[in-house]
Amino acid sequence: MGDHCEQTIRNLSRYIDRELTEADVRKVKAHLDDCPPCDEVFEFQAEMKRLVRKECCTDDAPARLRAWVRQLATEKPKPAG
Amino acid sequence: MSSDFSLFERHVDALYRSALRLTRKPEDAEDLVQETYLRAYRYRNRFRPGTNEKAWLFTIMTNVFRNRLRQRPAPEDPIDAPGTDFSIYDQLRREGMPVHLMSPEEIIVERGFGDEVKRALEELPVPMRMVVVLVDVEDFSYKDVAAILNIKIGTVMSRLHRGRQALQKKLWEYSGRPKARPVAVGVH
Repeated sequence: MGDHCEQTIRNLSRYIDRELTEADVRKVKAHLDDCPPCDEVFEFQAEMKRLVRKECCTDDAPARLRAWVRQLATEKPKPAG
Repeated sequence: MSSDFSLFERHVDALYRSALRLTRKPEDAEDLVQETYLRAYRYRNRFRPGTNEKAWLFTIMTNVFRNRLRQRPAPEDPIDAPGTDFSIYDQLRREGMPVHLMSPEEIIVERGFGDEVKRALEELPVPMRMVVVLVDVEDFSYKDVAAILNIKIGTVMSRLHRGRQALQKKLWEYSGRPKARPVAVGVH
């Protein structure tokens, strides 16, 4: 594993989480284009992140809770006292 | 004032699904979200318009949740800091899986790693679980998460790193690997 690989792997989480500066994003992208093994690691990690989001986004708030919040949002401010 | 509050209303699904990961129980999650909205309503004048209202709501919710944990220190989460690096990808390669021949999505579906994501997440120690939920499910930036949980960005990153590894380790274990399926080579 070369220096570029090590550096890329170290930056991979931040790359996937969109936390790198534009300059670093370009470096990671350039390396991934050139290095299939690193690209494979990237694809897998990115897919794991998508998986967690997809699996957890299926639970919507129950209708009762939604209605309760709605009511709170439309409630008129109570008169003082 | 009521029109301002409707800005917060749209985050009820996000708050609820995260509350569910934190409390693990629908009735507790509903209660946590209600408490969050009651506080948001009570302190709505403290919200600065133009700032991130979703982050504001999550700050309230994680604070309420942490206070509740302190009040009833029920079953303590094991702080099993994984000592060694773990990733499903490395495990698959070690197993000799030709990872380059299939897309990650195909591998994940084929091996059933997705089936137990919620369970695996809910078993993570709370500090790691909160960070993984906020970053991976709710898509908050590291900076937002640091502000929401009142921790340093470096702490966000290390908890995220450890949390993701612990999550993958659990998914690997749940998927029954490697013993569930005979390895497809000529073993006698």
